[in-house]
Amino acid sequence: MDWKGFFILMEEGGIGKWVRESPSMWAFPTIIALHAVGMGLLAGTNAAMDFRIFGFARRVPISALENLVPVMRFGFWLNAVSGVLLLLSYPTKALTNWVFYLKLTLIALAMVDTWLIRKQVIQKSGMDDATVSARGKILAALSLACWAGAVVSGRLLAYTYIYLDSSFDVY
Amino acid sequence: MDALVHSLQVWLKTTQLYYIMNNVNWAWRTSESIHFIGLCLLIGTVGLFDLRMIGLVKRVPVAALHRLIPFGILGYVMNVMTGITFLAGASDQYIYNPAFQMKMLFMGTAGLNVAVFYLATYRRVAATAPGDEAPFRARIAGGVSLLCWVGVIFCGRFLTFYRPPWHWCPWC
Repeated sequence: MDWKGFFILMEEGGIGKWVRESPSMWAFPTIIALHAVGMGLLAGTNAAMDFRIFGFARRVPISALENLVPVMRFGFWLNAVSGVLLLLSYPTKALTNWVFYLKLTLIALAMVDTWLIRKQVIQKSGMDDATVSARGKILAALSLACWAGAVVSGRLLAYTYIYLDSSFDVY
Repeated sequence: MDALVHSLQVWLKTTQLYYIMNNVNWAWRTSESIHFIGLCLLIGTVGLFDLRMIGLVKRVPVAALHRLIPFGILGYVMNVMTGITFLAGASDQYIYNPAFQMKMLFMGTAGLNVAVFYLATYRRVAATAPGDEAPFRARIAGGVSLLCWVGVIFCGRFLTFYRPPWHWCPWC
């Protein structure tokens, strides 16, 4: 099967069709709204962690940052599910746009980065460590940059696509 | 009141900002990108503080976590400023849009809630030790704040689906 057949298959599937074509506010509008809420929780909580590593809110113990992970995880799964639903509704639009791959790459990098921060900074710190090594701060800076890049590239998807659907009409 | 709102909407179309938003290619997407980063800053700090109030992330000390609030204020200011660029850029699409009106209502409620919180509750909250529940009034304030900001995000995303002159709203 070629790419076009793959796009048609996704577009014609029941879920993608419902998300795209249902007039209900619970379909596309609610899913994209949940995607924004998840973004705030995931990228926002990561940013809060990064700010603490930079040295803001110094009285928050570094080890207590592990407590933020469930919030990040919740935001991640909310966005993984809503993101797949949005992808199924307009697969051609996303998968033929290089910005979409940039967004996914930045998210993957940001998550590896968060994992490194947890293993090498948060889980290694004692209860009263106030400051973080330069290496930890570089990881935090990369985390902020990746999340900001992911948010901006997500926003730009609405402006950079070439094809809306598998008819491959140019918009 | 209606006449006042209408004249505000018409006046916005005469501003320099209206011209920029509609004639500079990158204006709208740049404003939107900043608006979304501001959203993350606000939810990541104010929202996180609210979660602590309602009883999550309890190992984090309240007063210490509160030191991140300035980032939330930065996000709020970013979003008010970029929000004004949208409003000026397409005033008719916002002012008469029930989703926008509800968004303003949620923002106003969040503002009142935070005013009451700082006037009446914060001093007792700040003393909450790591691992302890925040006082009951603070839990209410945190819950109201979370609901309001999620409401703001939902209404913000719903704006594009309920464009005037075609209307949807729960009361009409």
